[in-house]
Amino acid sequence: MYKRTTFFDPNYYKFVGSWAWILHRLSGLGLIFYLSLHIWVINSLTYGDETFTKVTVFLNSPLFKLLEVGLWGIILFHAFNGIRVVIVDFFKGSLIHKKLFFVLIFIAFVLWIAGSYMLIAHIQW
Amino acid sequence: MMKNFKESSKTGAVLWLFQRITAVILFVMLVYHFVFYHFVSKGIYPWKEVVAKMQSPWFNLLQFTFLISALYHGLNGIWMVVEDYIHCKIWRMIIFSAIIIVGFALLFVGTLTIIKISSLNV
Repeated sequence: MYKRTTFFDPNYYKFVGSWAWILHRLSGLGLIFYLSLHIWVINSLTYGDETFTKVTVFLNSPLFKLLEVGLWGIILFHAFNGIRVVIVDFFKGSLIHKKLFFVLIFIAFVLWIAGSYMLIAHIQW
Repeated sequence: MMKNFKESSKTGAVLWLFQRITAVILFVMLVYHFVFYHFVSKGIYPWKEVVAKMQSPWFNLLQFTFLISALYHGLNGIWMVVEDYIHCKIWRMIIFSAIIIVGFALLFVGTLTIIKISSLNV
C-alpha cells in the first residue's frame, strides 16, 4: 500500500546518514535562497559608482560579516557532505559512509573556524 | 497512485548525473570564490577597479559557468525535494513551472550583469 512520506521519518533519527541527508536538504534550500539574493544584489554593480559603494558599505558591516560566518558554515557543510554523497554514489563509499561523514565534517569544521577568523578580523568597527 | 509517476525513473537519471557533475564544478569554483572574494579581499574597493577586473573574457566565462551550474544545481535540488513530498500531479506541474520561471529570471538577471559590465567604459 502506498504510504505518504513524512518530511523526516522519526524511525530514522538514530542513523548518522539520515541526519546527513536531512541537513543536506535544509542547507541546500537555504543556499538556493541565498544564491537568488546574491545574483540580484550583484546586479547593482551595473548601476554605477554610487549604488555600488552603498551596497559594499552594507556588505562590510559587522552584521553582514556575521551572516557571512553562518553562510560559510552552511556552504562547508553542504560542500563536504556533498563530497561524501559523490564518493558514496561513484566510488563504493557506502561501505565507509559513516567514517567519511565524520572525517569530512571535521575538515569542514576546521575550515569554518579558519575562515570565520578571517571574516571577523576583516570587520572595521 | 504511484503508477502515475513511472516516467520519473527514467528522466531522473540524467538530472541526477548532472546534479553530481555540477556539484564537483561548484565545489572547486566556490572554494576559489570564497578564498579570493571573501578572505583575501577586504574592505571597500573602488567601483572602477572592480568593473575593470570583471571585464576579462576569461573571468566572464568562469562567471557564466558558475551561474549556470549553481542555478541548475539549486533548482534541481528543489525539484528533487518536491518529488519526495508532493504527489499531486497538478501541484507538481505548478511548482515545476514556477522553478523554470524563477530559473530563467535569475539566469536573465545574472547574464545581464555580465553583459552590462563588459560593455561599460571605465
